[in-house]
Amino acid sequence: MLFEDIAKILSDGELMGYYFTGFLNTLALTFFAALIGLVLGFIVAIVKIAADNYKFMKVPAVICNLYTTIFRGTPVALQLFIMVFAVLAIPGFKPYAAIITFGINSGAYVSENIRAGILSVDKGQMEAGRALGLGWLATMTRIIIPQAVKNIIPAIGNEMIALLKETSIVGMVGSTIGTLTFDLNAASSTVFRSVPNFLASGIIAGCFYLVVVYLLVFLVKLIERRLRASDKR
Amino acid sequence: MISVNNIFKNFDKVEVLKGVSCTIEKGEKVVIIGPSGSGKSTLLRCMNLLETPTYGEIWLDDKLLTPIDPYLHFEVIRLSNTYRKMMEQAKAASPEKTEEELDQEIIQKIKAEDLLKKHEGKEYKEEIRRLFKQSYIDINLARQKMGMVFQHFNLFNNLTVLKNLTLAPVMLKLKTKEEAEAKAMELLRRIGLEDKANAYPATLSGGQKQRIAIIRALAMEPDVMLFDEPTSALDPEMVGEVLALMKQVADEGMTMVIVTHEMGFAKEVASRIIFMDDGKIKEENTPTEFFERPKNERLQEFLSKVL
Repeated sequence: MLFEDIAKILSDGELMGYYFTGFLNTLALTFFAALIGLVLGFIVAIVKIAADNYKFMKVPAVICNLYTTIFRGTPVALQLFIMVFAVLAIPGFKPYAAIITFGINSGAYVSENIRAGILSVDKGQMEAGRALGLGWLATMTRIIIPQAVKNIIPAIGNEMIALLKETSIVGMVGSTIGTLTFDLNAASSTVFRSVPNFLASGIIAGCFYLVVVYLLVFLVKLIERRLRASDKR
Repeated sequence: MISVNNIFKNFDKVEVLKGVSCTIEKGEKVVIIGPSGSGKSTLLRCMNLLETPTYGEIWLDDKLLTPIDPYLHFEVIRLSNTYRKMMEQAKAASPEKTEEELDQEIIQKIKAEDLLKKHEGKEYKEEIRRLFKQSYIDINLARQKMGMVFQHFNLFNNLTVLKNLTLAPVMLKLKTKEEAEAKAMELLRRIGLEDKANAYPATLSGGQKQRIAIIRALAMEPDVMLFDEPTSALDPEMVGEVLALMKQVADEGMTMVIVTHEMGFAKEVASRIIFMDDGKIKEENTPTEFFERPKNERLQEFLSKVL
């Protein structure tokens, strides 16, 4: 019964079309949200760390702390509803509001990953840079961050995988074919109307997710191996 | 060259330095010894402001590295509202004393009881600003003139040995890339490690790392070198090579301040030895006097244990 339904979906071009559309939309949502998240997370992490050295960064750091507290402390589904139906309730803007929400939410987690990575670099490295007369920012960019990246990459990879799967709730704010909010999860639900076996439609969607996640994991490993070159003894 | 003027350093509630003053003259090799926790490393790290003193001033030649400490400038204290008020009251209370006597009394009282407030009037503020402007130096500029060698080497792990040596001189535009590399190779040849130019620090032994850390500081052509227990993290068999290089640097006339536990080295190289205990300088003397006729009781006890 299950295998028959799976075979039925796989052989139906129209149904598979839904999956491919959803697949591409999931990738697009994740990619742009990740981009926002990484940039935002990086800035927030630097501000928080700079606040230990520069007094004028204290106020920005308080704002950044508020940001991470709020966006890590509330469910992303709630954030999505508030953003789409209240804060950014602009007609036709729904998919972009969703991307922005996922990006901001991810940024809160990424910032903590990056901060932890930077703090894990031996304090002596900063001291050595400063003792030679290099500035804080110069030491940060030339010495600390290159070393921190190695420690950050695995955690960021993890966060990207979580983000990819988190985008599956985008359908909660309504998904119609042809917009970015029609993601893999929405495709699975649409297919369910034609082949009323959710296990079958769900398994296929799951396989698509697995493929992307596996590719992500592979990519992260590749980057890690590259970055560990200077550790070789 | 460096003068340390009555500095105090607190870490939260713990007082690590309790009023330390000393001067390092050009060409001197000053060794600082003392039991652990005596504040000797903190003192050294204050000299290039890796630690900021809580009170007191650090001078590099005629440039001030710390903020102005008003308690160290009598002319500043005299401009404060607190001083003026106290002077008026004192004149009224004891008219028989001269102004100079009163002046001394009041200044001593203000210093002893920490009476200066944050706001002490316009003239006071302007005088502090004037003094600060006149002796201001960008801390990064000051640090270029003070080489520092750390206990744990702190070579940049993400850069090759050559890059470690050329990064700062090139980034700070003291040398072109070619000049910096030529100088770096010359220094590497001198310590016999030119074949390690393209190696990463992780591949080196402790002694090699520390010798490269020393020439990294030398590559900046500093006026003074600060050594923070340079041999304490080394295997015993590597201590010799590092001390030999330090001796060479000393013989070339470099001004050096060295925190160490190597008494033999101190005896041989130092022009002056400072003994610290409990956040204060307890004795300061030439090596012969210091080791043969120690006056301070705590120092006698210390020497009897380590020699």
